Amino acid sequence: MLSVCIIEGSMVSSNVLSGLKMKKNQTKSQFVAVASIAAELSAVMDVAKEISLAAANAKAIAFRAGEKAKGFQPITDFINELAKDTIELVHAINAHALQLYQLTVDEYRMTEAFNKFELAGVLAKGATYESSLRPALLRAQQKMQECLRQFNSHIAQLLDQLGEVMHPARAARVIAANSRIEASQAGEYLQSLQAVAESVDNAAQVIHDNVQRCRSALSFITLTE
Amino acid sequence: MKMTKIYEGAYQWIMFGRDENKPDNIIDTNQYVVRTANRCLLMEPGGTELFAPMLAAVLHHAPVEEITDLFASHQDPDIISSLGLWDQALPNAKLHAPAIWEGFLRHFGCESIEYVPIPDTGGVIRLDNVELKLIPAHYLHSSGNFHVYDPNAKILMSGDVGAALESPGAPVFVDNFEAHVEKMRYFHQRWMPSNQAKRNWIERVRELDIDIIAPQHGRMFRGDDVRRFLDWFEGLQVGTAV
Ligand SMILES: [Fe+2]
Ligand SMILES: [Fe+2]
Repeated sequence: MLSVCIIEGSMVSSNVLSGLKMKKNQTKSQFVAVASIAAELSAVMDVAKEISLAAANAKAIAFRAGEKAKGFQPITDFINELAKDTIELVHAINAHALQLYQLTVDEYRMTEAFNKFELAGVLAKGATYESSLRPALLRAQQKMQECLRQFNSHIAQLLDQLGEVMHPARAARVIAANSRIEASQAGEYLQSLQAVAESVDNAAQVIHDNVQRCRSALSFITLTE
Repeated sequence: MKMTKIYEGAYQWIMFGRDENKPDNIIDTNQYVVRTANRCLLMEPGGTELFAPMLAAVLHHAPVEEITDLFASHQDPDIISSLGLWDQALPNAKLHAPAIWEGFLRHFGCESIEYVPIPDTGGVIRLDNVELKLIPAHYLHSSGNFHVYDPNAKILMSGDVGAALESPGAPVFVDNFEAHVEKMRYFHQRWMPSNQAKRNWIERVRELDIDIIAPQHGRMFRGDDVRRFLDWFEGLQVGTAV
């Protein structure tokens, strides 16, 4: 917990200053982390769209295969649902990531302001109205801490949402395994249906890895007050 | 930061500049303050780098809560890139700035401070009993640009008009006009785009009773140097880069 005390000769206590240096570096990594989340998410979105396409493709093949691919048809619907769920979730996460970015900007500004107020306090030593800086300094510190609190709570929510994206991805892998079995009974359509199963499996793996990277980037920047 | 009182009556004008701690690679700027009984107007508050020394310097004249008004003649970073920081320091202040720059200036951060847009035709700023006139100076050099005229103190704060590129620590008033001209020529020829705007401005400014022209860079003009400056500027071809 940071604390400000205004005593003669120095505007802020030294633990505030050391806390500030730590904060500065954290803000830098916050920008990088939030930006990398956006990049990973847009990749997840692309892959989810690929799955959706694969599902449509599989449905067409299964339709042509008729009786031979009967077991495959409901699976294609399921794959499509999963892709839709993933896309929806990623949309929600994107909106959240945007808020997180705004908070990072706010916090960066607050930290910057706090630093400059502190410097002004040093430079104003002996000025008639030196002490009138105190409310601004306290306000900046409170806002900084409020930003921090909000930032952390958003990170926690985002981590939960990212966990949810893992579910359809995991389900997709199970479905891919089922698809292979169904494909094996589809005669001359075996190869094309196996290819569908293969692409769903790969896509699910890619989503899983990307989301995992998002989560580790996020947990890295959870801030301490 | 050097502070020079340039008017002292029922209120004061103070010029701030020649900050010794300014990084060498940013242009030196003059800031001006009008201090009345309960209020304080900060004109051309300056860039981010200047915020802390400027705030510290103002605290010699007014407490933070009495810094009620900011003025920006135009949108340049050397004029007002510190806005985001003032916005955190002065939650109840007003920024008087050209209406056409509002959407641009807000990029610096302006959430608490109230943006008071100055229409193209000009306006006034009232501080206690003092009334300051906002004189249009469009295209000198910015397309939306105002100067501040105080008819009582007879001071014209002229933004970039009258600016000179000076060596650090230069005196605050012009003492040898002929020698000073060379420090102004390139600045005016290169940064001022319009001879028509220049002529129009000179015509209107000649009507005003002025003791001091106070630019945002370089030195102030007083007494006969005011007229000398207007004559010199009138004869100068500007917008020479094309
Ligand atoms: Fe300018
Ligand atoms: Fe300027």
